[in-house]
Amino acid sequence: MRLRISVVVIAAMWLSCSPDSATAQTGWQQILASVNLSADPRIRLTGTGEAARPDWAAKVEKGTVLILEGESPLAVSLGFRPGKQTVTVTSLRDVHEPDMRIILEKPIELSRWDVPAGSTVFTAERWTGAPMVAGYRSGKGAVLWSALSPGRIGYERFPYLIHALTDLGVELPFRGSRLWAFFDYSYRTRVDVDYFARRWRESGISALHVAAWHFYDPDEKRDAYLRRLIAACHREGVMVYAWLELPHVSEKFWNDHPEWREKTAVLQDAQLDWRKLMNLTNRDCFRAVSKGISDLVFRFEWDGVNLAELYFESLEGSAVPARFTPMNDDVREQFRSSPGGFDPIELWSKRKDPESLKRFLNFRAGLAQKMQEEWLYEGEKFREFNSDLDIVLTHVDDRFDTRMRDALGADAGRVLPLMNRQDFTFLVEDPATVWNLGPQRYPEIARRYQALTSRADRLAVDINVVDRYQDVYPTKQQAGVELFELVHMASAAFSRVAVYFENSISPADMKLLPAAAVAARSEERPGNGMLVDCPPGLGMRWNGPVLVDGAPWPFHSRDTVWLPVGKHLVQPGSSDVPVRILGFNGTLLQARWTGFTVEFEYESEARASALVEEAPTGAWVDGRAPLILAANGHTTLLLPRGRHKVVIQAPAHPGREGVLRSSAVVP
Amino acid sequence: MKSLILGVVFAAWCFGAADDTLAKAYEALKVKDYDRAIPAFLQAVAASPARADIRKDLAYTYLKVGEPEAARGQFSEAMRLDPADTHVALEYAFLCYESRGDAMVWKATARRIFDRLRKQDNAEAERAFQNIDRPLAEGIERWTQALELGTDSFSANYELAQLAEQRDQLSLAAEHYLRAWKLMPSVKGTLVDLGRVLLQAGREEDGRAALLAASRGGETRTAERAREVLPQRYPYVYEFRRALTVDPSNVNLHRELAYLLLKMSESTEGEARRARQLEAEEEFRVIVAATHDLISCAQLGFLYLDRMDMEHAAPMLKKVVGCDDKDLADKVRTAHLQPRAEENIQPAEETFLDARVMGERSYAAGYLKDALKYLTIAHEIDPGDYAVMLKLGYTENMLHDDASAVVWFGLARQSPDVSIAEQARRAFANLRPTLSKVRTTVWLYPFYSTRWSDNFAYGQIKTELRLKGIPVHPYASIRFIGDTREMTPGAAPQDLSESSFIFAGGLASDPWHGATFWGEAGTAVSYLGAPQQKDFRGGVAWARLWGPSVLSDASGGFVESNIDGVFVSRFGNDSLAVLQNKAGFNLPRVGPLHTQVFVNADITQDTLREYWANYVDAGPGVRLHLNGTPQSLVFSVSALRGVYTHNEDNPRHPNFFDLRAGFWYAFTH
Repeated sequence: MRLRISVVVIAAMWLSCSPDSATAQTGWQQILASVNLSADPRIRLTGTGEAARPDWAAKVEKGTVLILEGESPLAVSLGFRPGKQTVTVTSLRDVHEPDMRIILEKPIELSRWDVPAGSTVFTAERWTGAPMVAGYRSGKGAVLWSALSPGRIGYERFPYLIHALTDLGVELPFRGSRLWAFFDYSYRTRVDVDYFARRWRESGISALHVAAWHFYDPDEKRDAYLRRLIAACHREGVMVYAWLELPHVSEKFWNDHPEWREKTAVLQDAQLDWRKLMNLTNRDCFRAVSKGISDLVFRFEWDGVNLAELYFESLEGSAVPARFTPMNDDVREQFRSSPGGFDPIELWSKRKDPESLKRFLNFRAGLAQKMQEEWLYEGEKFREFNSDLDIVLTHVDDRFDTRMRDALGADAGRVLPLMNRQDFTFLVEDPATVWNLGPQRYPEIARRYQALTSRADRLAVDINVVDRYQDVYPTKQQAGVELFELVHMASAAFSRVAVYFENSISPADMKLLPAAAVAARSEERPGNGMLVDCPPGLGMRWNGPVLVDGAPWPFHSRDTVWLPVGKHLVQPGSSDVPVRILGFNGTLLQARWTGFTVEFEYESEARASALVEEAPTGAWVDGRAPLILAANGHTTLLLPRGRHKVVIQAPAHPGREGVLRSSAVVP
Repeated sequence: MKSLILGVVFAAWCFGAADDTLAKAYEALKVKDYDRAIPAFLQAVAASPARADIRKDLAYTYLKVGEPEAARGQFSEAMRLDPADTHVALEYAFLCYESRGDAMVWKATARRIFDRLRKQDNAEAERAFQNIDRPLAEGIERWTQALELGTDSFSANYELAQLAEQRDQLSLAAEHYLRAWKLMPSVKGTLVDLGRVLLQAGREEDGRAALLAASRGGETRTAERAREVLPQRYPYVYEFRRALTVDPSNVNLHRELAYLLLKMSESTEGEARRARQLEAEEEFRVIVAATHDLISCAQLGFLYLDRMDMEHAAPMLKKVVGCDDKDLADKVRTAHLQPRAEENIQPAEETFLDARVMGERSYAAGYLKDALKYLTIAHEIDPGDYAVMLKLGYTENMLHDDASAVVWFGLARQSPDVSIAEQARRAFANLRPTLSKVRTTVWLYPFYSTRWSDNFAYGQIKTELRLKGIPVHPYASIRFIGDTREMTPGAAPQDLSESSFIFAGGLASDPWHGATFWGEAGTAVSYLGAPQQKDFRGGVAWARLWGPSVLSDASGGFVESNIDGVFVSRFGNDSLAVLQNKAGFNLPRVGPLHTQVFVNADITQDTLREYWANYVDAGPGVRLHLNGTPQSLVFSVSALRGVYTHNEDNPRHPNFFDLRAGFWYAFTH
């Protein structure tokens, strides 16, 4: 019973993926949908029986991207021919991530294929090199062939099909700019932070949640590193949050205060994996940690604080007492002195009845809630000194995987009502127990949480991109198409998506991640126009001057136009606006070019950033000057959290003088 | 000398090339253009692979862009090239320690390098070693204690094993990986960890045993990981056995070993062969006891059979024969019965029953060749069983060997069982004429049509000469085509039928894919006194029935299609195509009454575009046959709604209703 999971939900999810379902999509449709390519008229999916019509080659020359699966007369006519040899395929190697182990769940025996001369073999059988995915460009179009179907859900076999398509010239139409990513400096101690900050921004990351426990205790070298990191991120318009993992405080705090160490149910100090847990129920300990956190928050220029996993251990629950917390003296005493209480350590000796355990687990969930409330209140206190600070509560999901409440004491039902009183983002963390499930889980998780709060706009979800302990295929860690499908579905279901962590995502995936991180709908309109229904943070691939809703539009970079929320008509323009905003990470509500200034209105739960191509002559936020940072290739405006209006005055150029100011917002 | 000069020139060129690309690499590095610097460094490394300094700088550049694994690789090579460079060794060790993939292995490597360097009085290595080693020692102590306190869980054992592995306490690691695996045997990856640690501890055979156990029967991913470490060669028998001591319930290991033993037995003789087979038998016994693996069950049955152990063989083989896997069951029947019958290892009665049952089952399942084999065996055992003879007749008939079939039906007619005798008689009567040299067929189809308000009758008596091996048969025929009204009313009356007897000689082909080609030449003699006319006609007829016929006792859906193409010289050399389709249901027989209900859909067209020969019609119909009446006597009624598709010279309405009722009767002798 303890291990009961939402069987009905999971069954429903599987059914929803069933090929018999009336709405079932093919694997390829799901692959394309994950990067908003479903509506691309250039892409043609063909089946195994596709006839070899002679006009295909001409169509490809003119721009069609032909996708072939396995054996068909068409594939044969284009040079993809099965040979007489057979090969048993279990392991694959892909050029995009040659070191990634790609394993099929079941070996498949199939012909060894010949591919046309000049093709690129993207994926090959690991040991024999037999081509599995290959393609070539031809004229304006391309042909991509795979020896097998990509599978029912699109990522069972070939993780890097989207990469192959982009190699063949397919451009991904949209990009998001609102991802959060977790960051652990242990893995990035010697990186060039400027290089990385730029890469994060280009990957659609708007905020980095930095493992802050490494910086809890002042250290000259480490602090300097963090300051460099934060400065680099800010220059690139990436916000930086202090990610806390209380009750783990720091290595030094653990060593300095053995008296406040948390205990497991075998009464050992609670050092579990890398976390060294402290007893925050103890008031002295709490006060010491509170002061330490406060110092940490004000020692650096953080944009937010993420209170993560603020409950107890472990996923194995009471079944493994050596990992079960809390069992410190304070908690034991509190429970003992509660009505009908007893020493909870007896749960593993003379009180093994379910009722006793249930009572303690309820008490423990209450304790976790109290701890969360207490630290959210601490967060509010930080805001008294830094009103721009965003607060995030990262909380393991216990609505979808209902085992989490008893395992960890995590009870979202108790915490979510706090959102009505306090201003914070609730970041739902997928528990490890469901990392093997498909992307369909995210709409379901979102639905369950949305029912519990009126602040659905502040619900976010965290996708853990790590090796999974389950028997999963084709990659141990989510990669390529699977990652894109997860991020895409999550982005459609939640207002914000976080990925854990930036280091676990390969550069090849990172590059394409923003294309998956937004769910956009668009339709072509006469005159090269596109009507786009824009969620927050949407960028659309665009080259050259642009009109949005018929007016010149200043929010665009070399290849992307950034659009405000709502439906907008995007058309080619005739000339660029003198002030170009290359990137923006808040929610853009409206904007216009007045002829002299760019005026826009935005909303953001944390500080926002606008990357202006050239240093402006002046800039005002509700009449006040924002923080302006000079960066490599642009100027960054750091804007306050909340809803605000901004005016940016065009840079002074010969022949463009006497710039007027908008009387509405410019003092 | 020449080669020396060439070597010097080549080396100089290499250095020159390296210097050139190196300059580009450093230039790019200076402006932090890592994406340009790295390829340039790689080129320089390729040009001067023995220069550790270039590799070091490439490694540092990799670190700038967050590629620690690539950096680790370059430091590793630099360390190999210059073992005295402790700085490189330290860099390599730190990167090993930070590695994420296969972390345990890399962390242990890091600790060993720091340990080596600290013993050379390197203070940084000493610090690093202590920072690594102390927590490991504490962790080992903590988890050992936790286990002593009674937390014997997978995670506790696994964590302890990992800490021990990192600290090179390999026996401890092996002990707890094994314990962890035993607590959660479904996680076969733990066996890979166990194998790795054992190999490292020098216990190669134990290590390979664990890896071999991990490589069979678990998750594909784990199997692949294990295979990466295992030798490329196929495992030996003793290795399988050793793996089975680690994982005794690994069915895949047992099965693979069993087949290996069987294979090996094929290349030996006598006692050695026998011994191998007995070993294989033991493996199959384990599998059969643990699973529902029918293939192993069959294999075990055959092994028992091979050594005449019928007591044990029979239940195994019966289990397979009775299973849902028809192919497997059939293979067992095929492989099992025939040779056993020859060897007479079973009592005749038992074998006969098996053979007969299997024959009937094979027939029912459509495995006709097997059915024939089993029924032949059954007949050999009991030549007096008429039911077997009848079944043999049907089987031969289905296999298109009518000559054999008619012999069996002829024999079965003698059955004292009335039912068998009657079935055989009817089958014989149906089949025999097809085999006679001279065959006479008579058919008659009188019917009434409301469309013409007339009675029509068509009939033919045809005698064929069928010579063996010749696909074309000459025949003599008398046709009758007539009606009662003779002419249509109106100003331009037309003949309603030919009102003639047609005497002709012709040739007809054997059926070819259901189609029969025929042609004849003759004279039409009118019974109304009209002059004789020459009559040439010919064509092709194709008929196909899917489902039960009206004569069948079986009920169910059917589709029937008849296509005729006919040339008739007497109608201005006209050619007609007639397509008649019926789809419906054969109803369950009610007493003696067989009933078919169906829908007609017919098309008739001709080349001369006569209105009466260009129409389509459709409508419901019914066909009846009464048991007790001649077998081919079938009464039919159809209500058709039709439309002429060519109305030029059509004196009638373009649409018509036609209620058509008649009977069909035919026999062959």
